[in-house]
Amino acid sequence: MVRIGVQTKNVVEDERPEKGFEMLRKTGFSCVDFSLNYYLTNTSLYRMERNSFFDKTDQELEEYFTPHRAGAKEAGIRIHQMHMPYPIYIPNGKEELNDYLWQVVAPKSMRLCAFFQCPYIVIHGLKLARHLGSEEAEWQQTERFIHSIAPLAKELGITICIENLYSSVGRHIIEGPCCNGRKAADRIDRINEEYRAEVLGFCFDTGHANLVGLDFEDFITDLGDRLKVLHIHDNDGTGDLHQIPFTFTKTRENKASTDWEGFVRGLRAIGFDRVLSFETAPVLSSFPGEMKEDVLRLIGRVGKYFAGEITGKIPVAGLSSSIAVADKQKMTKFPGSS
Amino acid sequence: MHQKGKDAAERGEKNTMDLVCSLAGIVNPAIPRQGIRDLSNAGFENVFLDMGIVCGAGELERFGKPKSPGWGPLDRAAVTEGTAKGKPVKENGCPDEKETVAENPSMLGSCFEKLFVQCQENRLSIPIARAPYLYRDTKRADLNGLLTRIVWESIRYCGRVGCPKLIVRPLFSGISHGKEWEMNQEYYLRLTDLARENQVMILLENQCRAFNGHMVRGICSDGRTAADWVDRLNEAAGEERFGFSMDVGVCNLCGQDMHEFVGELGDRIKAVLLRDCDGHQENSLLPFTCVGAGQPQTDWLGLIRGLRRIRFDGPLILDASATIGAFSPLLRPQVLTLAKMTVGYLKWQVEMESLLKKYASIVLFGAGNMCRNYMKCYGQTYPPLFTCDNNPQLWGTSFCGLEVRPPEVLKELPEDCVVLICNIYYRDIESQLRKMGIQNIAFFNDEYMPSFPFDRLKEV
Repeated sequence: MVRIGVQTKNVVEDERPEKGFEMLRKTGFSCVDFSLNYYLTNTSLYRMERNSFFDKTDQELEEYFTPHRAGAKEAGIRIHQMHMPYPIYIPNGKEELNDYLWQVVAPKSMRLCAFFQCPYIVIHGLKLARHLGSEEAEWQQTERFIHSIAPLAKELGITICIENLYSSVGRHIIEGPCCNGRKAADRIDRINEEYRAEVLGFCFDTGHANLVGLDFEDFITDLGDRLKVLHIHDNDGTGDLHQIPFTFTKTRENKASTDWEGFVRGLRAIGFDRVLSFETAPVLSSFPGEMKEDVLRLIGRVGKYFAGEITGKIPVAGLSSSIAVADKQKMTKFPGSS
Repeated sequence: MHQKGKDAAERGEKNTMDLVCSLAGIVNPAIPRQGIRDLSNAGFENVFLDMGIVCGAGELERFGKPKSPGWGPLDRAAVTEGTAKGKPVKENGCPDEKETVAENPSMLGSCFEKLFVQCQENRLSIPIARAPYLYRDTKRADLNGLLTRIVWESIRYCGRVGCPKLIVRPLFSGISHGKEWEMNQEYYLRLTDLARENQVMILLENQCRAFNGHMVRGICSDGRTAADWVDRLNEAAGEERFGFSMDVGVCNLCGQDMHEFVGELGDRIKAVLLRDCDGHQENSLLPFTCVGAGQPQTDWLGLIRGLRRIRFDGPLILDASATIGAFSPLLRPQVLTLAKMTVGYLKWQVEMESLLKKYASIVLFGAGNMCRNYMKCYGQTYPPLFTCDNNPQLWGTSFCGLEVRPPEVLKELPEDCVVLICNIYYRDIESQLRKMGIQNIAFFNDEYMPSFPFDRLKEV
């Protein structure tokens, strides 16, 4: 059964986590993407700064997050996926910082994931293609990282999910790690076979895919059942804005400039029955605080809309007709063809 | 020799990475003399005939619709797709101004008569052309038959003027997802016999797709799928009749990893179309002119690495029609000179390793980052004898395994030893060396190295 989820960031606060989970329940969510990356942010890491959050012992971390786990349980919310802090390697960072990220932050994140009984943890591959000379050389480093946590993943029953990312040239965003669905599928299969367990899966990020013009439908169908987790959000094709789907248009016809139809067709084709999880925390900081619940309801409603389109169980007028038209084959005749 | 190389040799093709300039934006086919001379004076010896200059996407879009007052064939010479659609002019070089190529495809070749004469007079050859094509956001699903007839005429014209390669974009309009190969297979295979008869190789081209104004990946934008298409078409043709032309502007619009794309297509890539854009709007700008945060917006590094990897030696086509067209006609000769140098620079970068190969022995000038990068990427394969530097404090020291010597020792070098300047103050150092009587000087550049390794990555 398809369920709807959203990030905990900007909703679940450490002071009273149960309040946030209750708000999510009220606004139509049954799952969350736990924003563990919020506790050690990428912006600080790129400044070569790290806080002491992950200096805590496993026991201290579990104590810290016990109210969160209890709050989620009380609200009937499942922690379906979690985002590991990233980057996990900083190319020009000090050795001790990189060692800390690999050897301390990563395994502690894995154990926290298990503590939350969360089946999936999303990681970012290393962005090193420009430095190492090729995507393949870059992947080898990501794979090295995966191997460093895969035994733990197997032991804890967690699936690590690699995500399609972007890189940049000047101010232009170009594809980054894991933007080739077929390659990703091959690599996932090979590694899972090696561990004889489903230690690796995929997280499809719609916003990142939109930034580099990926064909959503092809990408999703290439992944098939390896697709475990979603990061659903929208943007203008230029910046990684993490907005609500259907927000952006580019022509006077005012139709969505992100291929949500292809997204739905792809998920429908692979029989996706997991969680439609929205990575839209920035929307909540952009709207006035008093509208938070309304915004969450809208996000949840979009989720239900997608769910209906994917499963056909909640028929909603509108998108279905446009998808049906696109599904129809329009044959073209050539001169001389019969 | 590799079989494909053999086929190319039999067709009389030379593999020298020719620099080719698109006529679009520069030459008006109705009055071609000045534009052609400008190109020739800038040093170009080859031109790219984009047949859209006489049968533009706007003209095709209007085909079969009632003609409005002021209607006329499009002057594609003055515009580029996506920048100024639908500008009517009185003439486009075609003999009958009342009829368009879309209405009468058989007149396509005659539209280029004046232009071809000028090319011949200025000794410009046409090694590659592109057949007319539709707007990317066209809603017309009824034009594929017309396009086929126009492509037939394009092939016949190529045969007539000895142009060995023709880019034919895949059909897309009215073709549903999943049916692309089926429809295009039929389309391309219908061209095979005529292409063979006219000794023309048909090149497929990577496409983007306009999704409600957002350019996303289209047909043949996946390298592996495109390679598969080319192979299957050649297999069906029984010879290497099909190849691929890579449009860098399209790759950039789709944010593609060009290194990977090129690698997947390999030697099926027979031509590369160079053009710059901001990654969002289709455009044909001079490479390196579209910048953001002081950096180019196109991944030239990925492209160069990819072309080096496949040892690309086909034509490098420059389409800077929007940039050149935006300059006053008074300044175009100078812009074209810069354009020629720019595409020449890209060729030089692609050929970097083969250039190093030809030196009997090498000495570096400079003991800094560029020298370090040389040593990391080429030091083992092409080891220099030593390096030298103007900083006396470095003399006698070792840098990246090389002895650092004073410039004076360069006077004692044998004639066949080249001094590679590994310092961004190229002209200063060149002048210094020339004054010392050193003749065998070349430049090295580390902007597009095969890798920029980190020593910090370590085994866990």
